Amino acid sequence: MIPDVVLNEWYPVAMAAMVGPWPGRQTMLLGSEINVFLDGDAIVVRGAAGDLAVTLAYGHVWACPGTPAHPLFPIPEAAQPGRRLVDCGVVRVKCSPLRAVENFLDIAHFPFVHTDVLGAEPHTEVGRYDVQIREDSDEVWATKVHFYQPQAAKSAAGGIVTEYMYRVAASTSAVLYKTCPNNPDEWDVIGIFVQPLTEELCEVWPWMALFDDTTPQADLIQFQQMIFLQDRSILENQIPRLLPLDPGKEIPTQADLTSIAYRRWLKRKGLTYGAQMVAA
Amino acid sequence: MWVANGLSQDLPAGVVMAGAWQGAELAIWRSAAGRLSAWGDRCPHRGMRLSHGFVRGETLSCIYHGWTYGSDGACRKIPAHPAMAPPAAIKAEVYQCVEADGVIWVAPAGTDAALPDLGGLAAVRSVALQADRAALAAALPGFVAQRDILRGQVAGAAVALALQDRATGLGLHLLGVGDPVALSRWLDGVVRLAEEGALA
Repeated sequence: MIPDVVLNEWYPVAMAAMVGPWPGRQTMLLGSEINVFLDGDAIVVRGAAGDLAVTLAYGHVWACPGTPAHPLFPIPEAAQPGRRLVDCGVVRVKCSPLRAVENFLDIAHFPFVHTDVLGAEPHTEVGRYDVQIREDSDEVWATKVHFYQPQAAKSAAGGIVTEYMYRVAASTSAVLYKTCPNNPDEWDVIGIFVQPLTEELCEVWPWMALFDDTTPQADLIQFQQMIFLQDRSILENQIPRLLPLDPGKEIPTQADLTSIAYRRWLKRKGLTYGAQMVAA
Repeated sequence: MWVANGLSQDLPAGVVMAGAWQGAELAIWRSAAGRLSAWGDRCPHRGMRLSHGFVRGETLSCIYHGWTYGSDGACRKIPAHPAMAPPAAIKAEVYQCVEADGVIWVAPAGTDAALPDLGGLAAVRSVALQADRAALAAALPGFVAQRDILRGQVAGAAVALALQDRATGLGLHLLGVGDPVALSRWLDGVVRLAEEGALA
């Protein structure tokens, strides 16, 4: 039995540009089969019990299997002039959707999983940063995160200290803001929108809003795909597949403050689809 | 109880591999100096399989965040916090692991069971296949099962198969005397039986 609070959230179910006529994209959401298809000009998400509430945003189709508790989270930068919006396709991962989000919020793995790209030994230290659960927007935010990166983005020529902000915008969606190599006054924005197929299987849709007019689209997408395939080799080998929400099963440190806040926020809100509640 | 987890010759210094003790998944690794260790296949930090990790000198590191463990299982280093001494509570789950007759044997910590006596036989080769233990014993005339060891003869000489339940099937670790090439061909025949479905 899936709790209402889980059913009343928005989840990504397709890249809007890829949706075709019936049967369209045949996929799963929270363990139930759905079709995402074009009916005339409208995108419809149909499940066994009828059509789901639909929102189009950030290049993707979002569906709510219950009664939407609130509108989809805003990403103001998506409407900012001069930004290039890039849909990066999809990576299917055999893990809890919550593990996929938690990995996205983590920087300490960069030197070991994204070696010589997003991090490199001996630059492994994670300094203190700020984490808060913002009451107004009901989001988890991590700010003042700094990390040395050999090649922070496709457009970065050499190693730099990158500053990050991380934002958990929904139970299975997160957005990061990072130093923009081409424009010091702005942030590059990268989102991951995670579609929970089941509690132990998800599809990850990376999305970017960048100030980068020169890098070919294919190179940008290939860069993100490479990063997420490296992450997948981790995510499919964590035991258990579900994300443990009770303390004791996994041991965090100060570098994991974002993950600690994310787990606490999920537990408090009852967003436990993909979570393990009892220490096994 | 001791369970065979492969042959010494298949785990060189500086290498980590996946193992299994009954239902438990393991990471088994050999340090640069040759010291052998078997641990539960989970980093206590985020549950990542330690069998995907890397050996440096006398330590094993998790591939996810580089948390580094000494051969006593205690965490020695957390790269995100290089100046911090890791708390003693951060420890891999340590099993007993010894080598005898060219075979790597694993048992839970504190076991007082004796190692199976395979004296005189030499390690030949390991394979993994899909087989039922009873069907396997029935397919090998003259072989006798004693717990996890099947003993019998091949071409008139004594052999033993040490059996190991793995998540992906049954591990067979062959020991014998005589020509290792001939023994290896005999083992190929057992693998073929399994592939034909005769051991299901």
